[in-house]
This record gives sequence, structure tokens and C-alpha cells, in this order.
Amino acid sequence: EDAGSCLATVLYPKKKSPPVVSIKCSDTKDKKEILEEDKRLYQRIRHQTKPITGKNIPDSYGIIEPALEPVWALAVAGSSSIMWEKSTETFRYSLAQVKAVKQWLRKDDFVEFDYTVLLHEIPTQEIISCHMRLTWLPGHPLKVKHFCASQSHGTDEGSGAESGSAAGAPAEKGASF
Amino acid sequence: QLDLWKPLQPEDIRAGEDLHIRVPAPLVQEVKDSLDQHMMSYRVLIPDVQKLVDQSMPRERSSYRQVSGGYVYTEYHPMEEIYQWMTQIQKNNSELVTQHILGKTFENRTMYYLQIGQPSNKPKKIIWMDCGIHAREWISPAFCQWFVKEILQNYKSDPKIHRFLQNLDLYVLPVLNIDGYIYSWEEDRLWRKNRSPYENGTCYGTDLNRNFNSSWGSVGVSFNCSSDVFCGSGPESEPETRAVAQFIKSKKSDILCYLTIHSYGQLILTPYGSTTEPPSNNEELMQVAKEAAAALTGKHGTSYRVGSTALILYSNSGSSRDWVHMIGIPLSYTFELRDTGAHGFILPANQIQPTCEETM
Repeated sequence: EDAGSCLATVLYPKKKSPPVVSIKCSDTKDKKEILEEDKRLYQRIRHQTKPITGKNIPDSYGIIEPALEPVWALAVAGSSSIMWEKSTETFRYSLAQVKAVKQWLRKDDFVEFDYTVLLHEIPTQEIISCHMRLTWLPGHPLKVKHFCASQSHGTDEGSGAESGSAAGAPAEKGASF
Repeated sequence: QLDLWKPLQPEDIRAGEDLHIRVPAPLVQEVKDSLDQHMMSYRVLIPDVQKLVDQSMPRERSSYRQVSGGYVYTEYHPMEEIYQWMTQIQKNNSELVTQHILGKTFENRTMYYLQIGQPSNKPKKIIWMDCGIHAREWISPAFCQWFVKEILQNYKSDPKIHRFLQNLDLYVLPVLNIDGYIYSWEEDRLWRKNRSPYENGTCYGTDLNRNFNSSWGSVGVSFNCSSDVFCGSGPESEPETRAVAQFIKSKKSDILCYLTIHSYGQLILTPYGSTTEPPSNNEELMQVAKEAAAALTGKHGTSYRVGSTALILYSNSGSSRDWVHMIGIPLSYTFELRDTGAHGFILPANQIQPTCEETM
């Protein structure tokens, strides 16, 4: 679904740190409408009677169960923040699959999930496994903490030995899909 | 005349209130222009209604069930079924198709290719296409199967295809990395390499597309078996690589064009990956590729980028595409099919048809 079209400039600093991104969007959806959609997504999650769990999303055939779509959508948004932090001029990432997800029920209104996401790393072609803890409430920025398993590629490029978590790095405002 | 979605009745239309209408695709621009002319502001709520309808269809009842003699080309098939399919295809099209053995995989499975074309007593020029060199790229073997089906189905009715098969032979290898493909079905959907063991069986798999004898081991590879771009113990160390290389070498003077199908990225890649030095016939390579990309975009609007691997993707040595060109075959291309990362390797089956249609 179209939320707008955006042009982004991405600058990779020489030292290892996330790229600097500046975005200009046009034809954007009404902010009110975005919030409404977020609320609908949120309700779909809240209406479940048991804590949501899942694995292999999508499955081998590319199918996502409709009931798990909201959870998938949040995974996409959350892992984009992991990928932003890991990206460099030579390394880029895509979300390959959500290996596992488990919901943590909270007393307040926030929804919280524990994910194992698999990122595809170019040019090493490696599949990196990351643990992601995500918290969300419509109208609030997504909170993402992550920890990616370190890889020993043996390639000439510096191996991505990832450690430490990024506390509260908001991926975008009010995760709009 | 216009399909009113809100309100439901024209008589309920009120000034100052929202109006929702569905506009047929060919009229969209006209309607937009007319609204602009009358200074009426509007917003597109749903850009493609049909897409939403298709998405809401459950997989089994998808309206696009292409059945050719019972085989469903819009689904992914395990290796057993692909073996059976090859036998069937030859059986049903014996005047055009013969199945041949190329060699064996590490785990001793037979690699078959299909030779498609009108038999002739003169030697014919060849176009070679292989799919599935990387296990997880399922859309690639799906495309090879689709391609064969399309060619055979339209051989009689399409004069271009008819002439094509008269003048040329098509050699199609639907799954090159059979062991890896099976492994991606049974154990690890995101497996890439073959399944040959190293380090006393503690580590598996060579990246077959780093294993060819084209500047082998020089760039974009790893000498560590645990890497997904491990180039093997030496050029052509893997039986699958040797099977392909031996065959292509033997037919070298007759092969016009070499195509190797991968995913994802939506790219048509020309030699080389191992260096940014352009190949001698770069202009020709680029021109043909650009025309292919344009034709592809014409089908469903999917955009493909064209260029040398080292420039638009990343440097890598030992690729089949590079090797083929280095031994003298003029046109050599890697196709990276859909998509650009949203689904990546796990492309949903409902995209098999549009992907294959545009790539045809």
C-alpha cells in the first residue's frame, strides 16, 4: 500500500557507524489516516486471546498466515532499524525471514515481541541471525533492541562481529505500513 | 457510469462531503485531469483494486492455475517432481525434446538437461540456460520449468518460437545444484551452496558460482568452508561444476549464448565480476541486455538494471558467467530475477507467473 513516495540520501561515514539518512517524502498519506491504520493493526494484535507465537514467517513457499501479518509487519519495521545500524558502504542487508516470534504480554497498553530474524548480508551472502526485542504503541516510535550473532566469514572484508544491543533506536515514527 | 463506493447512491452525494469512486484503469488520467480542471482536490485511496482482490484470494483458489498436462507451474516443486516432470516433458514432446545426462552431483544424483529443438542433420547453434546453481533461489528452477512449458506450448502457434527451434537448439538445465536444492527443501530453506563435505565432514558446501576457473579465488570469495561464498579447494573442485564445464567446453564452438538464472535483485549482469575491465564485446553485450530489460519491463512494469557485475553488484571471481565468456562464448548473462529484497529468496508462489511471464 502506498504511504507516499520518498527520496533518501544516504551517507556512509568512514568510521563504523550507521549511515546518515535524510528523507524527503511527497504525496504522503494523511497523518490522521496513518494513525488510524496503525490503530487497526494494533487492535488485530490486542484482540488475540493468547500470546502470539509463530515461526518461519513467511514459510518456505512465501506464504504468511493472515493472522500473523501484523506481527510480520512489525518485524519488517523493527529489523529495518537493525539493518540501518549495520549497513556500511560495502555491507547491505535484507530481511530474509522471521525465524521465530513470541509475544510478551504487558500490563500496560504496549505490545511487545521477541523475534529471531534472519538477515541476508551482501556481498558475503551470509544469513545473519539476530535477536530482536520490539515494543510498540500506535502514535509512539517503535522501540527496538537487538543482538546479532557474530559470523566468522573468513572473507577479505572485515567480518561482521556484531555485539551489544541498540537500546531504543526508533525505526520510524508510528510504524506506518 | 462511474462506480460509486461512498455514498452508495448518487442522490446521497452532498457538497462538502467525501466522495469515493472506483475509476477503471484506462480512465484514471482523464478523471484526474477533469478534477484538476474543476479545481477539485482528490486523493488516491487504492491505487490497484485488482491487486487487493488477488491478494485476498487464498492460495488454493488462485485464479491463475496454469495446468499443462496436470503439472502446476505456479507452484514450487521438490526435486522428485522435477525429475518426473522432465521425463514427462520428453515423453509428451518427443519430436522436439530429448533428455540427456550431464553428470552427477556430489551425493551421486544424476544431473539431466533437456535438449529442445527441431532435429536436424546439420549441427545447430546452441543457447544454454541453467537454473538453480544456488539452492535457495527457488524462483530460478521454477522459471526454467515455465520457460520449457511456454516454448513447447507455443511452438506450433508462435512463428517466432517455431523459427527459433528450427534454427537453434535450446539446452536447459532446470536444477544445477540438485543436492543443495533438496537440502533447502528438507533442512534449511536459506541454504546456498552444494553439499560436499570439507574439514573432515565438519563443514559443508562450496558456492558453485565461485568454483569455476575464471580468476578463481581472487576476489569476493572465502577460503573458509563455513562461508557462503567458499570457492572450494580449487577451480572446478566440485562435481557439479565439472559436469557443466566439461559439457560447455565440448560444445564451445556452437554455443551462441549462455544464460544462468539466479535471484534476487532484478538485474541482468554482464561479464565480468572478477574485474571492472570491460569484455571485448561489451557494447554488444550491453545492447542486447538493455533490449531484454526493456522488453521485460514492458510486461508488468518491473524494472531491471543492466550492467557489469563488478560495477553494479559486487566483485566476485569464479562465476560460471565469467568463465563461459573467457573461453570464447560471446553472449553470457546472469539474470537475477524478482524481487529486490522485500521477499528476497522466499518469493511467494503467486509471483511465479508474473515473474516468468515478464522474463519470457
